[in-house]
Amino acid sequence: MTFSEKLYKSAGLTFPIIATGAALIAASVMNPYLAYVATSWIIFGLLGLSLDIVWGRGGLLSLGQTAFYGLGGYFGSVIVLNLSPVTGNTLIWSLPAGAAFGGLCAAALGWIIFFARMGPLQSTILSYTLTLLLWSLTQSFQLDVGQASIGGDNGLSNIPGMVLSFGGNAEALGPVAVFVATILISALVYLLTRWLMKGTFGRVVDCIRIDAQKAELLGYDVRMYQVANFAYAGAVAGVAGALFGAWANYLSPSIFSVQEALLVPIYVLVGGLGTLSGAFVGAIAVGGLSYWLGGGAVGGQTTLILGVVLIFLVLFLKNGMLGALGDLWRQYLPDTNAAARDAGAVSIDPDVLEGLLKDAAAQAGPAKNLATRDAFKRFGGVVPVNRVSRLFEPGRPSSLIGPNGAGKSSFLKTCVGIYTPEAGSIYLGSDDDITRAPIFERVRRGMGVKNQKPQVFGSLTVFDNLWMAAYARTRNKTAATEISGKIMGMLGFTNQAAVQASVLSHGQQQWLDIGMVLCLTPRVILLDEPAAGMTNEETRELSSLVRILARYTTVIVVEHDMEFVRTLEGHVTVLHQGEVFAEGDIDTLRANDRVLDIYLGRRAHV
Amino acid sequence: MQIDYLATVLLSSLSSASILLIATIGLAVVFGLMGVINLAHGEFLMIGAYTALTATQSGIPYVLSIPIAVVVTMAIGATVEILIIRRLYGRLFDTMLATWGLSIAFYQLAVLIFGTVSPGIGMPRYSLKIGAYSLAGYPLLMIGIAALMGLFVYGLMTRTVYGMKARAAIQVPEMAQAIGIESSRVNTLTFSIGCGLAGFAGAVLLPIVPATPSMGFAFVIKAFLTVVVAGPVTLTGSVLAAIGLGGGASITASFLTSVAGDAFFFLVTALLLWLYPMGISAKWRRKM
Repeated sequence: MTFSEKLYKSAGLTFPIIATGAALIAASVMNPYLAYVATSWIIFGLLGLSLDIVWGRGGLLSLGQTAFYGLGGYFGSVIVLNLSPVTGNTLIWSLPAGAAFGGLCAAALGWIIFFARMGPLQSTILSYTLTLLLWSLTQSFQLDVGQASIGGDNGLSNIPGMVLSFGGNAEALGPVAVFVATILISALVYLLTRWLMKGTFGRVVDCIRIDAQKAELLGYDVRMYQVANFAYAGAVAGVAGALFGAWANYLSPSIFSVQEALLVPIYVLVGGLGTLSGAFVGAIAVGGLSYWLGGGAVGGQTTLILGVVLIFLVLFLKNGMLGALGDLWRQYLPDTNAAARDAGAVSIDPDVLEGLLKDAAAQAGPAKNLATRDAFKRFGGVVPVNRVSRLFEPGRPSSLIGPNGAGKSSFLKTCVGIYTPEAGSIYLGSDDDITRAPIFERVRRGMGVKNQKPQVFGSLTVFDNLWMAAYARTRNKTAATEISGKIMGMLGFTNQAAVQASVLSHGQQQWLDIGMVLCLTPRVILLDEPAAGMTNEETRELSSLVRILARYTTVIVVEHDMEFVRTLEGHVTVLHQGEVFAEGDIDTLRANDRVLDIYLGRRAHV
Repeated sequence: MQIDYLATVLLSSLSSASILLIATIGLAVVFGLMGVINLAHGEFLMIGAYTALTATQSGIPYVLSIPIAVVVTMAIGATVEILIIRRLYGRLFDTMLATWGLSIAFYQLAVLIFGTVSPGIGMPRYSLKIGAYSLAGYPLLMIGIAALMGLFVYGLMTRTVYGMKARAAIQVPEMAQAIGIESSRVNTLTFSIGCGLAGFAGAVLLPIVPATPSMGFAFVIKAFLTVVVAGPVTLTGSVLAAIGLGGGASITASFLTSVAGDAFFFLVTALLLWLYPMGISAKWRRKM
């Protein structure tokens, strides 16, 4: 790996550290007024960071980050007003209090949004509503808490500045020292955030942003991760709010205003969405520009200009400054996706596969049955699953066939939990009723699912896709690396380990998706049209894979390809209009006139 | 409790719900037919109100100032669609951000041009007596206006070629293009109509809600929540959500306090979103 590549990989660590060092050196020669103003840019950068965590990583545009910022600021300052006369030091009170209150409020809103599984529109509007509500409520909100007096639109004044030393008559820091302290605190928060986002937590959050359903199909409790991410961002905003209170010595309801809220996405978009450090770059760029223009040139029209700037940013500079720089840099780096072109062929090695399956059986227990009893699902007048009672067992693959609209995929989705049945029940194993269990719960109890469309995390590498699946089950990094490595080798992906999944062909994505299911070492496997998009050779490999799998687990395959179904030599169920129409082995069914009728539509049978 | 008091409360609540519906319907049209949330909707309302106000101040009768407001907002709406919205199709968050920027820019422009305080125009003086109580007539008229707007939009969507095209374009965009519907033109018209409806709302509500630059912010919260609660079937959904939320809040407010009314609105909204996270109409079979 060249120096440039190494530097590119660690850019998120190296450059912020260099920038922090440079800022600290600059602080020694900076005039106090500039230091005072620049402190606010850093604080706004921290606020921007909280939005980037929610939006760039979590995938939800929140217009409510200033709400948590303001709430954290108010709460932290109220605590400081009461406790700092005793202790001197203010930061030990304001920062944890701000973080805790901002985080708690965000957790409460996030809990409503994510546990109700609201759509993106609903979530954004709800976060905006919170901001606007706080803006109007705080205008008349008056409360005295000990020394602190929140006076509606008169605000909360006399907030102590930053004090580091302890004791009753400790002195507040000067502007340059405040600048230095703010930089160090922000750098710490940034490093903590980067560590979180680089770790498994951040990788799961990335997966959820790319495809939340797939993340849940791997067994991750998507809602918990989303709430945790949202709450963490709220805590970061709360810290920023507490710093702002100490910097301004004053807080007023205008902190919740639309003008204030508007700035946050501007910082993020200027710097680069999803880059984390971009928020600081954006805040410093915007703040520095208006400082340089002197404020007088644009006068009172800042709001107007910011509104227009936001429109232009959205229209023309989608990736922001850091995004554009990164794109430019990547052009001079070797293309990691080049390996996609020399793909190896898939070859299923029965010995490796059986070894994996025996290990899985040893760890996760024996294969489980899947049974439905009178499962019933309707959409308005259409009944795609009409009182289906089936028992699927290990030993031989079970296939579901039927003409288009027969309800095959709907039946599968009802078993998986994507659809909730109106009546009837579904059992996993002997008597584990999973009818109402959420998807991830079913996966954790041993269900592995591949949907009709290949679902892979496009911007993750092939290896990471498999690793995320293996980690979901093992919760152990070493074990996950071992399992995903073996399966990657078996699928012939070894040369493409570092290739992004999105550049793979459709057939390769099918294999990768199947590989992810295998990494889960499921006890029941449901495959929806796995052979679609595969070559004849690949279909043969798939057939042998499914047959081996069926010896160790329960396998249910929905397929259109009759030849493929024949090679599986398993039990076949024909569905028609949501009901079980016929069953048996494929040759008997091929000779069955009634089955041919519904496939060819020869006679009006029903 | 007397029957006349009850009737008064019911009528005035219905009129509050109608005012909410009038303010919401343009937003609902744009969301339902383009999948776009226009965060500048409140500012189009404000533009409509100022246009009508300016027209009245220059001697044009109030009734005639309303169509002028509609024309002005439609023209601005069409321009905004061509310059901004069209470039962001399919990018929900980006559209919201861009229209948000627009909303704040319009607000600041209004502050620059009109200042922060504007004279209202007097409410037409007639009133309705129910038993011992009397109700101002103009707000009651809004019930009829809201019904007319609902019928107008329904007719536009189901009885005109444009409406059919617009509904086809949002349901299956590729298919609509394949059979020759130029969806970008349809969308420009849809957005413009949505803005025109907002302008109409601003003008027609002018006697009740005086024009101020920040009036948009006050209106939009409830209008957004109404549309979000309504979900994908925007017209019927919005009518139901506006009557349920706006009417319920108003009834609560008249028996308790106005704060209780607002609390009712937000709590019921939160509850409805909890039960129907994609809106109340997400699973309906009817699509209008």
